[in-house]
Amino acid sequence: MLGLALRTLRSRLSGFVGAFVALLCAAAMVTACGILLDTGLRGTVPPQRYAGTPIIVAGDQEVHWTTSKDKGDGEVKEKTKSKPLTERAWIPADLAAKVAAVPGVAAVRTEVTFPATVIGAPGDGESWGHGFESAPLTPYALATGAEPKTGEVVLDAHSGAKTGDTVRVLTADGVGEYKVSGITATALDGQSSVFFSTDEAARLARAGQLTAIGVVPAPGTDTGALADAVRAALTGTPGKVYTGDDRGRLEFVDADAARVKLISMGGAIGGSALLVAILVVVGTFALSMQQRHREIALLRAIGATPRQMRSLIGREALLVGATAAPLGALAGIGLGVWLGSRFRDLGVLPEALDLVISPFPPIVAALATLLAAFVAARVSARGVIRVRPTEALSESGSAAPRVGVARILAGLLAVAGGVVLLIVLSGLRTEPAAGPVTFLTAIVWVVALSLLGPLLARAVAFLLTPVLSVLLRAGGYLAAKTARAQARRMASVITPLGLLVGMTATILFVPTTMGDAAADDLRAGTLASYTVAGHVPSSTAEAIRAVPGVTAATESLTTTVRVGQDKYRAQGLSAQNLTLTVDPGVVDGSFSLDGDHAAISSLAADQRGLSVGDKFTVTMGDGVHVELTVSAIYSRHLGFGDLLLPYPVVAAHVDTPLASTVLVSGTADAAALRAAAGPGLAVLNGAETADARDAAASANAEVQLIAMGLIIAFAAIAAVNTLAMATADRARELALLRLIGTTRRQVLLMLRTETAVAVVLAAIVGTGIALATLTAFASGMTGAARPGFELGTYAVIVGGAAALAWIATVLPGRVALRRQ
Amino acid sequence: MSTTVAAPPAVRLESVTKTYGKGANAVRALRSVSVDIPRGSFTAVMGPSGSGKSTFLHCAAGLDHPTSGSVRLGDTELAGMSETALTKLRRTRVGFVFQSFNLVPALTVTENVTLPFRLAGQKADKEWTAEVLRRVGLEQRAGHRPSELSGGQQQRVAVARALVTRPEVVFGDEPTGALDTVTAKEILNLLRATVDAMGQTVVMVTHDPVAASYADTVLFLADGDIVEAMSSPTADKVAERMTHLGAWS
Ligand SMILES: Nc1ncnc2c1ncn2[C@@H]1O[C@H](COP(=O)(O)OP(=O)(O)OP(=O)(O)O)[C@@H](O)[C@H]1O
Ligand SMILES: [Mg+2]
Repeated sequence: MLGLALRTLRSRLSGFVGAFVALLCAAAMVTACGILLDTGLRGTVPPQRYAGTPIIVAGDQEVHWTTSKDKGDGEVKEKTKSKPLTERAWIPADLAAKVAAVPGVAAVRTEVTFPATVIGAPGDGESWGHGFESAPLTPYALATGAEPKTGEVVLDAHSGAKTGDTVRVLTADGVGEYKVSGITATALDGQSSVFFSTDEAARLARAGQLTAIGVVPAPGTDTGALADAVRAALTGTPGKVYTGDDRGRLEFVDADAARVKLISMGGAIGGSALLVAILVVVGTFALSMQQRHREIALLRAIGATPRQMRSLIGREALLVGATAAPLGALAGIGLGVWLGSRFRDLGVLPEALDLVISPFPPIVAALATLLAAFVAARVSARGVIRVRPTEALSESGSAAPRVGVARILAGLLAVAGGVVLLIVLSGLRTEPAAGPVTFLTAIVWVVALSLLGPLLARAVAFLLTPVLSVLLRAGGYLAAKTARAQARRMASVITPLGLLVGMTATILFVPTTMGDAAADDLRAGTLASYTVAGHVPSSTAEAIRAVPGVTAATESLTTTVRVGQDKYRAQGLSAQNLTLTVDPGVVDGSFSLDGDHAAISSLAADQRGLSVGDKFTVTMGDGVHVELTVSAIYSRHLGFGDLLLPYPVVAAHVDTPLASTVLVSGTADAAALRAAAGPGLAVLNGAETADARDAAASANAEVQLIAMGLIIAFAAIAAVNTLAMATADRARELALLRLIGTTRRQVLLMLRTETAVAVVLAAIVGTGIALATLTAFASGMTGAARPGFELGTYAVIVGGAAALAWIATVLPGRVALRRQ
Repeated sequence: MSTTVAAPPAVRLESVTKTYGKGANAVRALRSVSVDIPRGSFTAVMGPSGSGKSTFLHCAAGLDHPTSGSVRLGDTELAGMSETALTKLRRTRVGFVFQSFNLVPALTVTENVTLPFRLAGQKADKEWTAEVLRRVGLEQRAGHRPSELSGGQQQRVAVARALVTRPEVVFGDEPTGALDTVTAKEILNLLRATVDAMGQTVVMVTHDPVAASYADTVLFLADGDIVEAMSSPTADKVAERMTHLGAWS
């Protein structure tokens, strides 16, 4: 059987090219996504700042909670869940003495970390200030000069400064002038360090708190044992012991968030790719099965059992898969590296997190692809069992087989699944949940299309026959008639085209749906006439408030917090004259952020069961719990986030306690504001603010597009594939038409009309799928059933699909006609 | 006194009916056909188009299930057999020559001929395969692909494949229908020779009175019934009978 499979494969290569290409692409995409996933799961972040210290004591960078589930039989199952914090956790300074007292500890070096940027210095990474006492943690040694005294700083080797220079340094305290007392011998990649005197550092950081304590072991002490001893000494305190690569994770807090994102994105894209691959390969196999109808009937007649036929087809598929999968997996490594570098450019993959390239993703991808090929062959071989051996004897070739009951049932099941997913989707209100479900919904609908396609094609062709015959005479008549008799072939062409239109529209319009809704919120809710953007210290905000004509200047700072176990986007806003700059659309209560007052979106209020006047506890980004009171409930959460908190509360619990924007209302003009803001800050009017926001949004959309673009490319390849295959196979039919007196032009007109019918049908169905999916997505996420369809982009999608279809039909058609 | 039990005929059909479709669209392709095909005979089946010849052949050869009645191949009752059992039976006990599209394009002549063995998971008898190929005059072409052969040669490969398993009956549905007269004669002589020299049983559906004249017996079908069995047919006699049946009026 294997020999026979190999033989048929070799002689019918053209019939398998489609499946081969599809499987190759699938293997490559799954490998690339696997590399992202693997990086998310196992990527290590080597320590930089703490590289010179084997044991670091710092705060717990995770929040934990236990969920208990009553399993019915009285037994209660407890499960502890941990999620990474989004900001650095601080620890009390008195822990240092506790750690120093542990036997085997030679010395402890305490560290504080706060934003400190030398204005005008080179380097594009982040810049952090520390006390000079923590320099040995890396270790940093002085190349020239001396350690800093009050009013002095030591800069790193990349700073470009010289000992004796005077520099201006921006900290949360404002801009200060310092003298450079020394330069270190080394510097770190992607981050700059500014060392202050210990007193100055303590003043600029959080009072009485540390970000880390470095443990210097006494000579001859075993590090592992010492780490255990320190851990034991710290039980019951917020201090945690970090060694090895864990020190890196401690240093790069955002790497953990990036990891989670890589895992979810890699999984979603890889999974979609595999589903689309199965769909496409089933399509191409089914088509090649149709083309081999008579051969299969002959084999059945001379003694091949249905089982043998199924295994023959299964083996052919495995052979195709076995060639395509390793090649694709290999190419996928390159694709993964490319994706990684694009993601790094876009900031999704942090500098510190190295791409993990191991043999696992390609191996798993190759196996998954092989499995997909086998499943696809099994599914398409179902039709083979129905091939009657007597068909080998009949001269007329294969008559259109009836659409099987099982197929109709499966199709209806897919429709039911699609409807259920639409309902589920319209109830999902958070992006991580809605994202994958959106794509799954679209795919399930395409599956339904592929199953019920023949019925659809037949019905449409039946309706179209009179119209086309009148409009296009013989060519149109033939096109409509063949479409009806060859409903299956028509369907096999409509499916990949519908997939192309439907998936592309869904992928492209998810971000616009969200973006449009968020922009609407912001447009309606922003009362300020100017926005000052950059890192704005409080002193500068005060200076802006003092500009004549300014009625309100609201400092704003965003962070991520948790209420209970749910994660929310939160914004800190300064309370003074707040209602002159921001209108979040209050639906209940009165909007105030004074003292412990906070406002909450109606979505979050629903989820947490909160109403005006309720007290609730927020876990800030650094893990500290803060108790606040609900002053108002508002509706514009897409533009403003789910929580509006007092600015000082947010500033006290983030790594960078500087306002990212200041919203300014009043009659002051831009020049006056610019003068007050000083250099390094942008003053934007309403339109410029919107543009800046659009730019940020489109950068975010680009990440989606790069990843999902692979699926679009895949769908396009599949469509071209199937169309070319379907046309090339019709050489005999076209020759016959020519023989009985059909002109070349009429034949080409027929092909073009068929393609046009297919494209129009696919566009209608694909658009329907995208519209339904996006409407459900929009009503869940934005509360309004308004999908963000952009007509220009949409025209490009349909036009592109039509162009691809035209090329893939008419070119092979011309070739087939010339060959006679 | 010794009693000789008569050997059963190669094929026996008893009251076989075949109806396609249901209700108002039902077509009765065979209406109660009973016939014996003796061993070692060459039988031609004739009749107007649509009279049920192909259907008769399909039912007799186990390619299709009759609606009712009994079909016996030697001692084996085919009615009620499962699809897989029928398939296995076709592999070794029946040979087929179709009008066209007889061969798997991917395989060489030898591979096509030995395909039934391969499907049965058996080793092909090399000597016998070579002998069959020699008899059909294709020993020089054993390694060629079907696309490299003429239509007549392709039909001879099909005959070789039909003979190679030493089947009880070889069935042909217009095996010469797509050939010119000279090539058709070669194939008919070949079939005649297998009956005479090897004692093979052959049943052949044909439209051509000349082809039918090679047979020992001609069965005439009309409207799904056998209306006559003619022995020692000649082309003229067959043509006259056919005209009578309204085939060529
Ligand atoms: N699969 C089928 N479904 C429905 N009707 C069929 C089918 N196959 C054959 N028939 C009908 O059964 C009758 C007998 O058909 P059959 O093919 O046996 O005729 P035939 O004698 O071989 O004709 P021809 O000489 O044209 O080949 C015809 O009326 C035909 O229309
Ligand atoms: Mg016939």
